[in-house]
Amino acid sequence: MKPRDVRGLISAVAVGFFLAGCGETRDAAPDNTAASKPPNGVGTITPGAPAPIFTLAWSEYPSWSVFGVASDRGLIDAKKGKLGRLEEKWGVDIELQLLQYEPCITAYQSKASDAVCITNMDVLNPALSRKSVAIMPTSTSNGADACIVAGIPDLKELRKHKVHGLQESVSEYAFVRCLETKGEKESDYQYSQMDPEKAALAMQARTAGIDAIMVWNPFVLQTLKSRRDAKVLFDSSLIPEEIIDMVVVGNDVLDRPRGKEFACAVVDTYYEFNKMLADPNERDSLLVALGEKFSSLNRDEMEKAVTQTRFYKTPQEGLELYTGKKFRATMSRILDFYVSRRIIKGTPPTLGFDGDERAALAQLRFDPSFIRMVQERK
Amino acid sequence: MLRRPINWQWHVVLGGASFATLAIVYTLWYQQRQRDIPEDRVLPSWERMYDEGVHSALTERDPKDKELILWKDLRATFGRLAIGMFLSIAVALPLGVLMGCYTPLEAFLLPPLAFLAKIPGTAMLGVFYIMPGIGLSERFFTAMIVFGIIPTLTQTIYHAAKEDVPEELLFKARTLGASQAECICDVVFRHILPKVLEAFRLSIGPALIFLFATETLYGDEGLGRRIRLQSSKGIERYPIVFFYLACAGLFGLTIDSALRWIRRVLCPWYVQ
Repeated sequence: MKPRDVRGLISAVAVGFFLAGCGETRDAAPDNTAASKPPNGVGTITPGAPAPIFTLAWSEYPSWSVFGVASDRGLIDAKKGKLGRLEEKWGVDIELQLLQYEPCITAYQSKASDAVCITNMDVLNPALSRKSVAIMPTSTSNGADACIVAGIPDLKELRKHKVHGLQESVSEYAFVRCLETKGEKESDYQYSQMDPEKAALAMQARTAGIDAIMVWNPFVLQTLKSRRDAKVLFDSSLIPEEIIDMVVVGNDVLDRPRGKEFACAVVDTYYEFNKMLADPNERDSLLVALGEKFSSLNRDEMEKAVTQTRFYKTPQEGLELYTGKKFRATMSRILDFYVSRRIIKGTPPTLGFDGDERAALAQLRFDPSFIRMVQERK
Repeated sequence: MLRRPINWQWHVVLGGASFATLAIVYTLWYQQRQRDIPEDRVLPSWERMYDEGVHSALTERDPKDKELILWKDLRATFGRLAIGMFLSIAVALPLGVLMGCYTPLEAFLLPPLAFLAKIPGTAMLGVFYIMPGIGLSERFFTAMIVFGIIPTLTQTIYHAAKEDVPEELLFKARTLGASQAECICDVVFRHILPKVLEAFRLSIGPALIFLFATETLYGDEGLGRRIRLQSSKGIERYPIVFFYLACAGLFGLTIDSALRWIRRVLCPWYVQ
């Protein structure tokens, strides 16, 4: 072979190499990194006994940014192949996947993620195709979803304006339910589809035609901050404990080796972080850290944000919600809402609550057992 | 007279003047807006641009490792772009050249390439990140760039290899006893090299679009991610957004100039 022919060969090899690289599975990769890295003390997996990797898809939101900040503070380590304190305690490796909210849902539904931070309404559709377990509530919207208006004094005037917000979402649910509690007819109002971030920006920029929006935090606080004449007409504090932010794990994941420990590690991280947050010496810096990635809110505004997004900060509070009667009623109301609006096509998912005989069979189960396990293993 | 050349001093002066015009137009726009809505924060003043944009972008550090955030973003974006572009050219170049030389290969590969080239890369975002083997990892970025630009890049190279190399050159080389491989490497490849570099350079634009789109969706660093993040923080943060946009422009311009320079060094005979 002439030396020049080698060039062709090299490029052919390069192509083959690339194609082979694409075929490699995701699960195989971590082993390589673990094996090639020599153990250098704490935080590294010892070769031979690697902790199994689980992924948690999350987006920036007060009670979910907890996981991002917990990783910055060493409770867990967001990267695969590295363990934080609580990951070592439970013998699992949590990999955090930071995404926008909607891609999180798709990633979870397609099993690209093992667990996801999601609300109690948005999980209904994914639960139809992937049997899901809600392992813990993180917070509830208590003013974090709001209808913000400019130059509109009351509901009567609002009827003449389009309200911009995300359709088939928490925003629309909150909008309709708030009107209901005020004894209004939904059909008198116009709800129009718009991405909440874009709606909030347009409102802040005084774009013509955008004078009423239904958005969630941080957009609520931001809009009020940068536009003085904007005010809240009504918000989700009218419907407390209906919109719940949670962590949901695939049932298939719990069946994997150490799957239950993974769920416990996530729960443990959340409550450990909340203990730190309760410490007056730490609170300020943690609050700022929670907000800094997704908002331009300062410490005081974040203090307000966490009252509007009320955290279930202890295992007791989480258990109270999951085992209480009200939550069942809420979920069945949400289910009706989703079915009647055809946001769920076909049969809705079956729901399982604590104490139900057939809870284990349900497509979506609200399972407090992981919170209890964390409580017991102190 | 048409196309009369001007000296380089004039080039500099006129180039500067056009940026100055942009600045003046912005200032007028800003003043108009301030007259209409005195408390407006949408269009920042030049002071705010500097204080909240340039200054804070050049001083904000990651609380974790005290590194400049801007530097981290630039590094992440450049790294992803470099890997993606390298893989793309590594695939597109041999494929394109061989397609231009061997008709059966052309007939086999051209239809799917032409088809794939017409699917907007950003529309495939939603498909890639749940695909096994790509998933939510650094490979997501690479995949977006690679699958986004390979079809077009390969086709450009293939067209150059097929149509731009004069038949006589190949006949001469064959008559003088060159093997097929020698014809490909020393005639076809040499002949189209400047075209390849040009096609590569023009692919940077689309590659950056795909990369930025991916970054807004996933990951925690990169220019695209930061721009999206800042704009979701509300209009207060627009000075930083503007600064990052300017950075993105400079970033692309730098790569572009570097590639032009490479072409001049590698193919001094090629004049456009």
